Amino acid sequence: MRRFLLRRLALALVTLFLLSIIVFLLAQVLPGDVARRILGPFADQRAVTALNKELGADRPLVVRYGTWVGGFVQGDLGESASTRQPVWEVIKPALFNSAKLAALAFVLVVPLGILGGVIAALREGRLTDRLISIGGLSATATPEFVWAVVVILVLALWLKILPVTAAFPAGSGPLVQIRYLLLPAICLVFVLFGYIARMARAGTIEALGADYTRTAILKGLSQRKVLTHHVLRNSLLPTIAVIATQAGYLIGGLVVLEVIFNYQGIGQVVFRAAEQKDFPLLQSAVLLVGLVYLLATLAADILYSILNPRIRLQGES
Amino acid sequence: MQAGAIDPVTVNFEAGLTVLGQSGEYLAWSDKNLELQPRIAESWKPNGDASVWTFKIRQGVKFHDGTPLTAEDVAASINLHADPDNGSNALSVFGPVLKKGAAQATDDQTVKVELEAPNGNFPYLVSSDNYNLIILPKTYDGDWEKTFIGTGPWKLDKYTPEVSVTYTKNPDYWDTSRQPIADTSEITFYAEEPAKVLGLQGGEVDIINNFSVVGGKALLTDPTILVLEVESSAHRQIHMRTDMPPFNDKRVRQAMALLIDRDALVAGLWEDKASLGNDSPLAPVFPSTDTSVEQRVLDVAQAKQLLADAGAENIEVELRLWDGFEMPDLAAVIKNQAQAADISVQLNVTDAGTYYGDAVFGKSPWLDSSFGITEYGHRGVPNVLLDAPLTSKGVWNSAHFKNKTYDGLVADYVAALDLQTQKKTSSKIQELLLDEVPIIFAYFYFHLGATKENVTGVEKTGMGHIDLTKTGFTG
Repeated sequence: MRRFLLRRLALALVTLFLLSIIVFLLAQVLPGDVARRILGPFADQRAVTALNKELGADRPLVVRYGTWVGGFVQGDLGESASTRQPVWEVIKPALFNSAKLAALAFVLVVPLGILGGVIAALREGRLTDRLISIGGLSATATPEFVWAVVVILVLALWLKILPVTAAFPAGSGPLVQIRYLLLPAICLVFVLFGYIARMARAGTIEALGADYTRTAILKGLSQRKVLTHHVLRNSLLPTIAVIATQAGYLIGGLVVLEVIFNYQGIGQVVFRAAEQKDFPLLQSAVLLVGLVYLLATLAADILYSILNPRIRLQGES
Repeated sequence: MQAGAIDPVTVNFEAGLTVLGQSGEYLAWSDKNLELQPRIAESWKPNGDASVWTFKIRQGVKFHDGTPLTAEDVAASINLHADPDNGSNALSVFGPVLKKGAAQATDDQTVKVELEAPNGNFPYLVSSDNYNLIILPKTYDGDWEKTFIGTGPWKLDKYTPEVSVTYTKNPDYWDTSRQPIADTSEITFYAEEPAKVLGLQGGEVDIINNFSVVGGKALLTDPTILVLEVESSAHRQIHMRTDMPPFNDKRVRQAMALLIDRDALVAGLWEDKASLGNDSPLAPVFPSTDTSVEQRVLDVAQAKQLLADAGAENIEVELRLWDGFEMPDLAAVIKNQAQAADISVQLNVTDAGTYYGDAVFGKSPWLDSSFGITEYGHRGVPNVLLDAPLTSKGVWNSAHFKNKTYDGLVADYVAALDLQTQKKTSSKIQELLLDEVPIIFAYFYFHLGATKENVTGVEKTGMGHIDLTKTGFTG
């Protein structure tokens, strides 16, 4: 197990290093000059030159990369070029906000998705199955901004039961925060339900037809016991992998929802940083989102190997 | 409002200027009628040729930290922006007008500013129109976001970058008639327009300082919303390179301008929240504009005749622009209307960064393309709009228009001290540009804001400033 973990960690570090180079180079190919982007096209050229010098944007590429990576590994993410705040001070609350929204979405969608999938599997081929499968797939195929418009119109503007924004007032308690986060979380439930339910359904159908399930039934165990002790434990393995990989998406990929609901998450930070060519902020934010993806995948691998020793043994051999 | 770093030196976006104008204050306030209201300056006067301006500074004004404001603070604030090493956004206005150290406090109450050339509109250049120029303490050395230091009617309570700023009223504000009615106010920043519009409709905010017709059409017909509109000089410039085919022949440029149905644009793109442009930056809102100059209107037959006279047939040209505001819609209309005279327009729509490039000649589609659309914000006086995009040495001259008569007229206009002289010169400028058409000015759109129906006393300007001192609620 230890070797397996070390190998995974080493791979994650190599991926992170490669990611840092890709992120850095991609950020450089964004069109336009850094200071020009911050000061605008109509700013005097002397002002642009002065700001580029101040930001260090006039230094060679390799020097800038070295400074950034050197700072990053020591925990110094530098200063945002556009807001002049320390990058960590911008990213930290945004990551925390994204994590809150992701957690709420998870709490809602994971049980719903698994329940939906298992019910669909138990009613395979019947109307309930069709409703859950086709309904879930349709919801997933609908872009998140469409869901955002629908839920805002219905729940916020017509029925007026939820706030139109996710930006809860400063100092709000947990319940108020949840109330503000419900609308985007509902959109995410629509988007993710189909994925999770589909995996849970497939896994459950496979487990229901397996020899060990037949043996358990023939042993005379109750249907509930067969389901919880034998079917679910085996059927949920692929579902867990799907859920874990969605964690990265939920924390780093919600740009559109965050913009529509005016929520200061990491997705919006990345979007704004890219727009403004704010390299220090963009690079660190993308790298941290990459780190979240890696950790989520790593967690999925570990969980998977705990639940399924065959994977662990393969890894060790 | 969309936010970024709120720094008086570098702010170049509307949310930033709105914030600057709450706790900060200018020498004068350029109101919605483009008239200057004295604020930190009690009065001002030029010398004989308007190359030196003297400002009498108000006494008894205090910064939020209790320090009295002096003439030295005023001179230091002007010099801060005039010094190229400080990289001020205000240099785009000050660049050809002021040199580093041009402002001097001659005594406790007087600041004298020596200009590089006569300028009859100079007080506008140090007013709220040049929005970076809030008066700061002479000891100011950056980090404005920590204090929001100024002399204005609102004091900083709490600022969360990119999220919001809350204010309390300044009990020591010098102008008792402008003491805020409300005890506190809060500004929320929105990254994108749809969220802002929804925020107002959903009751999250009571006022939005601006919205576009494209993005906020729902507000125009919402009975619970009051729309605030201020006529402005904001516009789009459709430039045509005068030094290369197909637009190096002015008849082709005139033909292109005649093919554009301005009435349809104002009605279709702006729901009539705009006034007609007449191919010069002298918008109807400027008091010096000669509104008797004949308006160019759609005339396909004349356009075809001009093209035939020029021997220009089956013209193919690329129109460059970036994907913002109503500009892609405007480009689509131009493409369609040009077809009436067999001009084939290919659209090349990119992001803003690509379009502006490095924003210098040779490295910018904006400045190098033969045909392009560029957005220009409001100005309280037309000086910059007459100069930078159109004079021979203009740094934004995307049309590459070089005309000595025009350059001379602009110099005359800038130096003119009284409205009558300005009007006379304006008339000549308008006639010249109407004939030469280096740039098509199809419309000048209004600055729109909106409030809930129970909100009163919000004053807006064409620049985007918002005065909340008289704001309250009915009922």
